[in-house]
Amino acid sequence: MSKRVVIADDAAFFRTALREILLKGGFDVVGEATNGADAFEKVQALRPDIVILDVVMPVKNGLEAAKEISLLKLPIKIVMCTSLGYEPIVEEAMKAGACAYIIKPLSETKVLNTLNGLGAQGL
Amino acid sequence: MDTSKYKALYLQETNEHLLGIEKGLLAIEKDPAEASVLDSLFRHYHSIKGMSASMGYEPVMKLSHAQEDLLSLLRSKKLTLTTEITSALLYCLDALKNLVKRVEEDLPLEVDISPFVKRLKSAVEGRPVEARESAAPAELKLSNVMKVEGKVFDDLLATVGDLFMALSSFKSLTHISRSIEFKDSVYLLGKSINSIHHSILSARMLPIEDLTEGLPRVIRDISKQSGKKVELKVEGAGISLDRAILESLGAPMVHIIRNAVDHGIEPLTERMQAGKSPEGNITVRASAKKDKVIIEVADDGKGIDCDKVREKAIKSGVPAERVRAMTDREALMLVCLPGLSTAEAVTDTSGRGVGMDVVKEMTEGLGGALVIESAPGKGTKIIMEVPRTTSIIKTLLVRVEGEPFLIPISKIERVAEVRHEDISDGVLKHNGADLPVIPLGRLLGMEEETESPVYTVIIVESGRDENAGRLIGLRVDDFGDEMEAYIKPLVPPMSKLWGVSGIAVVGDGRPVFLLDLPQIVSKAAHGAY
Repeated sequence: MSKRVVIADDAAFFRTALREILLKGGFDVVGEATNGADAFEKVQALRPDIVILDVVMPVKNGLEAAKEISLLKLPIKIVMCTSLGYEPIVEEAMKAGACAYIIKPLSETKVLNTLNGLGAQGL
Repeated sequence: MDTSKYKALYLQETNEHLLGIEKGLLAIEKDPAEASVLDSLFRHYHSIKGMSASMGYEPVMKLSHAQEDLLSLLRSKKLTLTTEITSALLYCLDALKNLVKRVEEDLPLEVDISPFVKRLKSAVEGRPVEARESAAPAELKLSNVMKVEGKVFDDLLATVGDLFMALSSFKSLTHISRSIEFKDSVYLLGKSINSIHHSILSARMLPIEDLTEGLPRVIRDISKQSGKKVELKVEGAGISLDRAILESLGAPMVHIIRNAVDHGIEPLTERMQAGKSPEGNITVRASAKKDKVIIEVADDGKGIDCDKVREKAIKSGVPAERVRAMTDREALMLVCLPGLSTAEAVTDTSGRGVGMDVVKEMTEGLGGALVIESAPGKGTKIIMEVPRTTSIIKTLLVRVEGEPFLIPISKIERVAEVRHEDISDGVLKHNGADLPVIPLGRLLGMEEETESPVYTVIIVESGRDENAGRLIGLRVDDFGDEMEAYIKPLVPPMSKLWGVSGIAVVGDGRPVFLLDLPQIVSKAAHGAY
């Protein structure tokens, strides 16, 4: 069965790009969120296998969302997604429970390699 | 990433962010302490940077990055906002806008952004701008024509609206004041406000041409897709309209024209068989009628089949007896039912497509009206009647079941106090004729109070066309002041509210709805309450 993914990014531009890459890679995009709070809710409701969180988002940023989601102790892999220059935040998110990150600009190989790599960690 | 696919999305989102930046910069200029504005500004720049990097638009990415860095310094309080910084950001915003425009127009992006980055740097370091860095005027002569952003006029008009409200409070004070000087001053104040109002309204007027000059391109694209040949004629393009109204007509106009080409104009062979010219004709005709502009879009296509529309309406759940009771003209308006006009099958068979519900909603949202005329085999005419200017109109405040509403004075024939026993079976003898009196509260679906010995009846004209000239009475609790109200159009989802077409804030700060008389009167005329 294909892995179920929730995407959180405030830009429709990146959501669309990610969605298309994921579909090509055989993932199932089950939900999309436009901010961290929305992402938290969608994750709780949809129970995906993977959630991809943009770092800079309104209402609640990706780091806060990552912290909250990992507190749920659900079998969900958290992947941070951001542009260059946010390494410290990504590091903090990894400490808080995120297990991978993607640095924008997005590319198909970058995204799919990262997500398929999650499988190796026993998803 | 295959970028060409994402360009439209990029442009749309980037332009939204640019607008957000402009708003934000103006806001922090007023109130530099507002941290949430800094946060949102930061996110706007960040998003532009990220998207531009993905699209490979390097100068846009670099320039937005430089500004994002500056914003993060401000956010972390490592830097305090100065006027020079705001000016530099505004200066760079213009550069960003230009770059994005170049993207939009497919122009090369090899633009040197270093002067802009340098300007940001000087602002951060608190150095004065070198003269050559700031935009120098091409020549030291001022033009007579100023370029002013449309929003300035929107704000001015809103302010005049507030002035009118304040004026009506003053006017009511003159009734209880004995001071002649006070009354004189209020009168003069009123005159001045009126004259500002007129100046602003005329400054906001734009010729319809500004909208229609884009149409040949639209028609070219649409007709190319459908393989039909279409000739466009535009008449009355010199008539001017308020900018805001003209702007909102853009989308409906394209909708109507697309429908005309796709579903109205027949394919070449069909036209030849029907003895029509090989190319289809679409005529956009504007004409002024008092304070309204009538814009007709007519095609010489196959027209709308009324019976098919009725059939489809019944199938989609409109009660059959209601549909059968409709005149052809009323039945044609059924294409504006949301469910009906979006159904693909209807599009193909009835000859009118998607989105007429949106067109109707938009014209009515502007305080206008939409009429469809169609002759099978001959063509279809969509008529939009909209006000020429927005917003400030003379209104009468009325109370319905305790709630205040505004009625446009221009629609009121007169106001009468009527004794309960003079109304029998909902009809009042008025100047020897029968005047139907409708309880407005019940029509608006409000709780009705107990009967009173005396009613206030607002007598209005009962609509246009076949009903023109006939009067109808609306029963209300009582009426209050006449006031000049700045009417704001309703935005979705409020624009879907039945019976109201706008909203105004009255003197004491409460929002009050403007009643949509055409809608109310047509419901009343059908006895549907």
